[in-house]
Amino acid sequence: MHIPDGYLGPYTFGFFYAVMIPIWYRAFKWLKKLRPQQVPLLGVLTAFAFLVMMYNMPVPGGTTAHIVGGTIIAVLIDPWAATVALTIVLLIQALFFGDGGITAYAANVFNMGVVLPFVGYYTYRFLNRKLGLSEVLSSGIGAYVGIVTAATVAGIELGIQPYIQPGYCPYKLSVSVPAMAIAHLVTAGPAAAVVTAAVVWYVKKSRPDLFEMRTIMKSRG
Amino acid sequence: MDRLTKTLLVVVAALIILSPIGILLVWNYSDAWGEWDVSTVEHMVGQKLPGMEKLANSWNHAVLPDYNVPGWEDKLHASIGYIISAVVGVAVVLAVYYILVRLAAGRGPAS
Repeated sequence: MHIPDGYLGPYTFGFFYAVMIPIWYRAFKWLKKLRPQQVPLLGVLTAFAFLVMMYNMPVPGGTTAHIVGGTIIAVLIDPWAATVALTIVLLIQALFFGDGGITAYAANVFNMGVVLPFVGYYTYRFLNRKLGLSEVLSSGIGAYVGIVTAATVAGIELGIQPYIQPGYCPYKLSVSVPAMAIAHLVTAGPAAAVVTAAVVWYVKKSRPDLFEMRTIMKSRG
Repeated sequence: MDRLTKTLLVVVAALIILSPIGILLVWNYSDAWGEWDVSTVEHMVGQKLPGMEKLANSWNHAVLPDYNVPGWEDKLHASIGYIISAVVGVAVVLAVYYILVRLAAGRGPAS
């Protein structure tokens, strides 16, 4: 899901820098409110997100996909925590490992650090609070919906490029969207669901307060 | 540091050691969809892509391109290169994270 340099033209990647600037500002403001006792937890989860993306999984048809870890951070801490974590991880991946472009950096953060954790988190919350499903099941489904949505959005960004400016990503929506969606529907999505549900199951058992505290905080507004 | 964070640190260590799984499982696979280099895309679609050619090398200072030490092509070396990349990546990510946390905390009390 890491869009490399060259696939998005200047109008497209410029648009995502413009979109991300206020979001980064908001995420930085959120970071100021992070409680000191949560600082090590978000640190280790940020490292976790970096590492799970190194686990490429085979996709039928010959390509690969990986999970991101954004919904886990969103459920255990906050969706804004996931934005902070993925902003850092994607920057290091681009600069040190050439994974994801510099010009496409803002678009990649938008997909994996905003769309993925927020869709994952609100899916989780809806299933858990409104439908009364368990945290474990809700977070697994949330992670699945989150990563498939993010991949679809990445597919849309790539697929509209030929209409905006030719000479960059040559694949149109009819090719890019199904390719990105299917890879994540069949491979990364199920993996994200299982990993997220397993982590949430473990945390729910060992630190139930992480879930209770947030409920209290939320109900106090 | 609480127990959960300690447990997750063990998980992080395990993920670093086991990371070669992430390349060995997909050894004969192509890249992820839409992550091919310019020449591969041009070959696949049978046309030149001048915009992509211009932008593709916007950044060529990656120290460990593709999470590997350049030239370490065989499975054993690539696996070692992958573990080195995992260690470097985690170290740099954590360093940047703590700098950012410090910057955020330093800018006065939360509003």
